[in-house]
Amino acid sequence: MKLELGKILIHDICFAEKSEIRDGVLYVSKEELEKIVMQEEGIQSVSFDIAKPGESVRITPVKDVIEPRVKVEGPGGIFPGMVAGVETVGSGKTYALKGMAVVTAGPIVGFQEGVIDMTGPGAEYTPFSKTLNLVMVCTPVPGLEAHDYESAVRLSGFRVAAALGELARELQPDETVVYECSDLKESFEKYPGLPRVAYVQMLQSQGLLHDTYVYGVDAKKILPTLLYPTEVMDGAIVSGNCVSACDKNPTYIHENNSVVEDLFAQHGKTLNFVGQIVTNENVYLADKERSSNQTAKLCRMLGLDGVIVSQEGFGNPDTDLIMNCKKIEAEGIKTVIITDEYAGRDGKSQSLADADVAADAVVTGGNANELVILPKLDKVIGTLAYINKIAGANAETLREDGSLAVELQVITGATNETGFGRLSAR
Amino acid sequence: MVKEIERAGIPVVHMCTVTPISMTVGANRIIPAIAIPHPLGNPALTPADEKKLRRRLVEKALKALTTEVDGQTIFKD
Repeated sequence: MKLELGKILIHDICFAEKSEIRDGVLYVSKEELEKIVMQEEGIQSVSFDIAKPGESVRITPVKDVIEPRVKVEGPGGIFPGMVAGVETVGSGKTYALKGMAVVTAGPIVGFQEGVIDMTGPGAEYTPFSKTLNLVMVCTPVPGLEAHDYESAVRLSGFRVAAALGELARELQPDETVVYECSDLKESFEKYPGLPRVAYVQMLQSQGLLHDTYVYGVDAKKILPTLLYPTEVMDGAIVSGNCVSACDKNPTYIHENNSVVEDLFAQHGKTLNFVGQIVTNENVYLADKERSSNQTAKLCRMLGLDGVIVSQEGFGNPDTDLIMNCKKIEAEGIKTVIITDEYAGRDGKSQSLADADVAADAVVTGGNANELVILPKLDKVIGTLAYINKIAGANAETLREDGSLAVELQVITGATNETGFGRLSAR
Repeated sequence: MVKEIERAGIPVVHMCTVTPISMTVGANRIIPAIAIPHPLGNPALTPADEKKLRRRLVEKALKALTTEVDGQTIFKD
């Protein structure tokens, strides 16, 4: 499986009469995009805004962040099973608009979504203060149920990102990276001396708007399965969640998974990157046991030497993480787990809800309970109406001077568990 | 909480969905519950069936409370 990823560098975004990309500038017609969003019956209105790195802008409540892409050659389309058919993606040629993102915002439930600051201390914690953000704030039709509102905003975000990606179809990429992975037999023959390593990605699937989709399938309904790691670059996995936004994977992070990226960088040099296993984090104990059993079984079937496991979220998924780690280690396969910590504001409490001696190689994305003060910014895209209710805030969060006293938990991507954020520890 | 109450000499039954966490934190009498969002109920059942389920869980917990245990025990049935 070989994918050429062409990068179209975007240096600026402006609103214009006609949507197009010219000399690295993305011109966006609000009218054209509005028509796309209004395909969803549940959405009453949408407003678009642009937030640039360094501007005094706070975006909240943030639902998802999406990188626009387009499939130029090869089977399928971007975001298969969502806004494209269900062909297997991950081969041929794909173009990505780099340096920008579509951010979907609006109070779906209010307490689950995140915050992106484009400047100040908050900007240091979110990777999305570095992207030019086209923000869409969707208002639902009166009486729309939260889960229908979530679905409408999710799908419109993908449609808008796919439409913007489409503008790049005839362009020449500024740079191209080629990702190639072989089938098992070929890779074992090709790299006989290298350790066989796979990536086990745990997907948030707790329901009640904490969901992730694989080729359009709700991840809580999957048995663990195998992907070529290039499939995620075409949007095979997308986000339907953002609760405690610091350690959830927006769609952008699925498209640009750091573990996949880094394993590819070492593929054929220090290791043989065999593939990607996706599993879930469900709310029934039997599901947790079944999924971790199946994950360990797949690792054994692949004849692996090592596995990197990334978690999404915290709390009871810590048990899924530890079960995966223990069971894979029990197959004689070395594991490294990537998680984050809820160790209290002073960092002195137990970091994870579960533990085991097999988890002896752990990478942290930071302590989500750490308290930060985010100064008042000049402009808010979305609304501050829910800021005191968002996970990681409290009744005293919004202070008299307009600043926010919040835990890192509220900041989109701050303690990301695929290594996409900036925090860690030695 | 389980450990502190037991330290005061009162036996405790911990009803929880993720029993491995209960084991990790050191509960002695553990009853597996239904699911994390609804440990002692099941919205998929009819109200009448759900009431039966809830009664069964409480009775099981009371039985566990009066059962002598030799170390950490998960009461599966």
